[in-house]
Amino acid sequence: MKILLCFSFLLIISIGCKEVYNAPIVSPDTGYLVVEGFINSGQGPTSVTLTRTTKLYNAGNIIYEHNAQVTVEGESNESFPLYEFGNGVYQSQPLSLNNAEKYRIHIKTTDGKEYVSDFTPVKATPDIDSISWKRENGGVQLYINTHDPQNNTRYYQWKYEQTWEYHSTYFNSLKYTYDPSTQEITGVDYKYPDAHVDTSIFKCWKTVNSTSITIASSEKLNQDLIYLPLVYIEPATETLSILYSINLRQYALSQQAYQFYQKIKKNTEQLGSVFDPQPSDLQGNIHCTTNPTEIVVGFVEVTQEKIQRIFISNSQVPDWNYRPGCYIAEVDNNKDSIAIHATGLVPGTPSKVTPFGTVAVFYASEERCIDCTKRGTNVKPDFWP
Amino acid sequence: MLLNKIIKMKHRFCLYVGLCLLMFSTAVNAQKKADSLVSGMYHNIPVHQFLLQLETQTGYRFYYDTLIFDSVKVDLSVKSLPLLNVLDLAFKNTAISYSADNQKNIFITKGLAVQSTLPQGFFVSGKGNSKDTLFVKGVNYLGDTSGKSQNATQENKLYVIGEENITNAPGGITVAGYVRDAKTGEPVIGASVYIENPRIGVFTDQYGYYSITLPKGRNTLYIQSIGMYDTKRQILVKGSGKMNIETQQEVMTLKRVIVSAEKASNVKGLQMGVQKIDIKSIKQVPVAFGEADILKVVLTLPGVKSVGEASTGLNVRGGSADQNLILFNDATIYNPSHFFGMFSAFNPEVVKDVELYKASVPAKYGGRLSSVLEINSREGNKKNISGTAGIGLLTSRINIEGPLIKDKSSFIIGGRTTYANWLLNLLPDEYKNSKAGFYDLNLNINHQIDKKSSIYLTAYMSSDRFNLNSDTVYKYGNQNLSLKYKHLFNNKIYMLVTAGYDHYDYDISSSRNPIYAYSLGFDINQGYFKTHFNYYLSSKHTLEFGLNSIYYKLHPGNYKPMGKESLVVNDIMQPEQALESALYLSDKYNITDALSVEGGLRYSMFNSFGPASINNYRPGVPKTEDNIISTTQYDKGKIMKTYHGPEIRLSARYALSSELSLKAAYNTQRQYIHVLSNTSAMAPTDIWKLSDPNIKPQFGDQVSLGLYKNFKSNTIETSVEVYYKRIKDYLDYKSGAILILNHHIETDVISTKGKAYGVELLVKKLTGKLNGWLSYTYSRTLLKMDDPNAGEIINKGMYYPANYDKPHDFTVIGNYKFSHRFSISVNTTYSTGRPITLPIGKFYYAGAERTLYADRNANRIPDYFRTDFSMNIEGNHKVHQKTHNSFSIGVYNMLGRKNPYSVYYVSENGIVNGYKLSIFGSPIPFINYNIRF
Repeated sequence: MKILLCFSFLLIISIGCKEVYNAPIVSPDTGYLVVEGFINSGQGPTSVTLTRTTKLYNAGNIIYEHNAQVTVEGESNESFPLYEFGNGVYQSQPLSLNNAEKYRIHIKTTDGKEYVSDFTPVKATPDIDSISWKRENGGVQLYINTHDPQNNTRYYQWKYEQTWEYHSTYFNSLKYTYDPSTQEITGVDYKYPDAHVDTSIFKCWKTVNSTSITIASSEKLNQDLIYLPLVYIEPATETLSILYSINLRQYALSQQAYQFYQKIKKNTEQLGSVFDPQPSDLQGNIHCTTNPTEIVVGFVEVTQEKIQRIFISNSQVPDWNYRPGCYIAEVDNNKDSIAIHATGLVPGTPSKVTPFGTVAVFYASEERCIDCTKRGTNVKPDFWP
Repeated sequence: MLLNKIIKMKHRFCLYVGLCLLMFSTAVNAQKKADSLVSGMYHNIPVHQFLLQLETQTGYRFYYDTLIFDSVKVDLSVKSLPLLNVLDLAFKNTAISYSADNQKNIFITKGLAVQSTLPQGFFVSGKGNSKDTLFVKGVNYLGDTSGKSQNATQENKLYVIGEENITNAPGGITVAGYVRDAKTGEPVIGASVYIENPRIGVFTDQYGYYSITLPKGRNTLYIQSIGMYDTKRQILVKGSGKMNIETQQEVMTLKRVIVSAEKASNVKGLQMGVQKIDIKSIKQVPVAFGEADILKVVLTLPGVKSVGEASTGLNVRGGSADQNLILFNDATIYNPSHFFGMFSAFNPEVVKDVELYKASVPAKYGGRLSSVLEINSREGNKKNISGTAGIGLLTSRINIEGPLIKDKSSFIIGGRTTYANWLLNLLPDEYKNSKAGFYDLNLNINHQIDKKSSIYLTAYMSSDRFNLNSDTVYKYGNQNLSLKYKHLFNNKIYMLVTAGYDHYDYDISSSRNPIYAYSLGFDINQGYFKTHFNYYLSSKHTLEFGLNSIYYKLHPGNYKPMGKESLVVNDIMQPEQALESALYLSDKYNITDALSVEGGLRYSMFNSFGPASINNYRPGVPKTEDNIISTTQYDKGKIMKTYHGPEIRLSARYALSSELSLKAAYNTQRQYIHVLSNTSAMAPTDIWKLSDPNIKPQFGDQVSLGLYKNFKSNTIETSVEVYYKRIKDYLDYKSGAILILNHHIETDVISTKGKAYGVELLVKKLTGKLNGWLSYTYSRTLLKMDDPNAGEIINKGMYYPANYDKPHDFTVIGNYKFSHRFSISVNTTYSTGRPITLPIGKFYYAGAERTLYADRNANRIPDYFRTDFSMNIEGNHKVHQKTHNSFSIGVYNMLGRKNPYSVYYVSENGIVNGYKLSIFGSPIPFINYNIRF
């Protein structure tokens, strides 16, 4: 049951105020096992990531659990091993599972503790019907459309990656030259002898993974049908300045798994209003058999992954009006002028060239407006048209 | 009508008598009518002693100034002489003269005699009927049987009550009547009516009615009440009778801020943990947005807390917000707030006062564990049409009152509305289409059918509607209607019969996603019937007894599709029905002047009815869906489960001196209706749930002890109260519980135990230029869930603090009156931060860092500190002008401190960020304009 109370209470927040605050709490060294992944009953390997919980103010990296023995076990004593791929990721060969049987994950960590998930039946995931979109408030709202003709999926989860192509605002053919001894900027020069534009930093792609939990259920509906807002692209953003793509992965869930994800979502994404439900502890379906009171985070089920990708190009969204917010400065090509007028800027292209072909005056701008690789990659993804 | 006229004339007449006393210089007017015969030997005794003896012999009353008889002695011996002859003899050769009237009053003066009758034809209609005109009211012998009552308006006049020859029932003589405001005719509630020697006192009830048992003979009856001039009446009590008293309002309304209605009542009264605030005090306390807010002021009292700003839920002595019975006249108000708790739902112009019972709850009330908050509305002016109106930044209100039949019935109608939309327009674009509105309406009518019967009608309605960003429309409202009949059988017994209907509902709808477009409705309906008897048995015993019945019908959730495209399936939760009944008896027993006790017993019974289907769970294992063994279908009207049990209400007071007393109380309570909530604040979407075969009623008991001391002739009151309270079967939720539209809600809640204890200190100064109150509370509220059969053990079965456990709480409310037209108020509050569940660690899941939670309420938010300031400016005080104006200007949260409401950690773009949320994080200025007409 989703009651969008938070909408109402944002009003009150607006009257009030919110400021960054880190409570002076001493959090214990928890180090509980976190298991993320699913047993893949469709095509493709089964992949599980093992990590450890950390202190709240631990600024460090994710702590991965290495060298564990991970297996998928069937009720009829079948066993499929998973192998560590690095970074706590354990993967199997594609498994051929019996749809009538129940499976679980079995983990043995290097400290000798054993963990098992509850046996769960194989769930079939229906295909994604479509990813639709429409213009809303100037931006683009994407929707998930899916349904199960058998009406028995009811609970869904999605993960997605968004990728978009974008270009630098200004061309670049120049680079700074440095005094070899002091490393001070002395002026600018062409990057390439033939003065051509550096295309490697002009065209880039950026990919972002979903960071929020996307789940939905049709339990309150008379059909097993989902029409769910997926992503909203703010108007006039770079995301749709050239070409945008989203890859959506859909999973069928059990009701228990759905409730588990909903709990995580409430605990970690939906706080901050006046009438928040209080955070609650998280009980998944994985238990430590060596120490039954130990907290284990995670929910592992047997399900399938269904994928769909769409593209939206800038020409499909008239009046997108993307403005990168870049400005350009004209700077004389000498040390002093650069120090005064080009602080923090990088050179773009020449504005005036001397009769000898050297640069007299050049355009300069912020690095992000000239070098697209600063926030993306210039390697074209394989799926890109 | 003629009688009325005469009575009025009499009033005026008394004045003339006064004049006569001073001005008329006529010869001795020895009206030899007095026929009482006097016998006795009086040897050299002072005059006043002589007169006293005569009084006892003859039944005459003498009026004289003792000073003039300083040196005069009487030496006389008489046998069977008429009284007046005796006087003639006694005062022979002195300058003493006397004058008698035919009401057995004799005025003795030096030098000149009082003319005890007026010259013939003094009044055109008077006809010189001296028997009737002089002090006629004073001698209207009125006994129980006559049913008539006299209006006593004069302080220095002697009123005779009762007929001597009527033999009074054992147990003393009772004088009863109403205390009313002379100007408006409204009852004066909570006025203290007492005599000093021996010390006997009572308070007027909510109808202004008092009944006091007095010794025979002459008494001075004192009447004190808030906002009224202190007054007294000279009475000669001969037998039981009635006397109505009119008191004068203090003209300078700014003169006082009195928290307690009754001077010295905290020492003298029997009840503990009772706080009463009248609307004048409420209006002087600065609040956000400037409109007098009843519940926000109640929150400044010791022992009362809330989770935070913007929540009207009260936590009284460690109780949860649903453990308070909020009664508006007799109607139960389920949601006492507007605008999600920013305003309380009571129009301050209609409210008369507020009384909060924290410890000794009268036996007539029950059904909630923690407290009873009784909000009394005004009755309306019985003499003239009048009204008030107020304009504030967000709300405006108006009320009109006046007589329907002069002096017999009156009405008061009040309304309040908001125009907060301008505020919403200031919000960012995404809320541009938002709309918010609320209103409330009050109507009270009272009518005096005859001298013994009155009838009261109360109607109340509140409505809130929000439409935020044209998406989720959110509505809630209260509707209440009650009709009360009061009948006085005689001076000693009266009866109240009340019947009424209360309704609360909410409705949420959303049409943003047409597939999911839904509306969700919830409502509570209750019809009730109460009879209450008050029996002033004697000066030592006051009995109260009666019967209450409430029939509940709840619709816990109706989930419906909205629009053609919606695929939402109707999900209608089965309605809940129940009958809660209680029978009670209490006796207030004054054992001695110093020691009084009150014992009450309330036997409550709760029947849960079909039609319903109830899940049966395997015994001894947690209630989960897997453990349902069967489902029982109950037919309509079939009793599914009955809970019943006694509730004990005991309190005792021992007065160590007239300004110092010790009190103790023990109370038990049962509660059959519960709020299911997993939010810290009381949210408007909280559902109420009746006890049923799977949900047990809550049980609580409390023992409290208090010391009360007044200083400076009762102008400074101090008190210390300690309490210890236990709560059983309080409903808490399981982790991740689903509370809305849950068809097997018992699987998501657990019964917890609780304990609360604390010390409350209060110092109040009632009068003077500087007044206000200061309170400090130390309290703890701890809950515990250790039943392994409940399935989930919270915090390893250890005690954990409740959401509203704020150990230290300090409040100062101060007013300083510079002049009658200008005063300032300052309000300062400090409290420990509330408990909160903070993460113990974090982990990486689903593409983002996420927080890990373990123990509930193991941390606290930073402490709370706030200061508010307001100025009250009154227009001129000329009594005869059409309108009276006043302004209040102030600043809420003057220091602009960003008091945290909550601290939370949220995963944003993959990273956990910590935030502190303040509701009113900056100073909020306000202005209010009020007009009286």
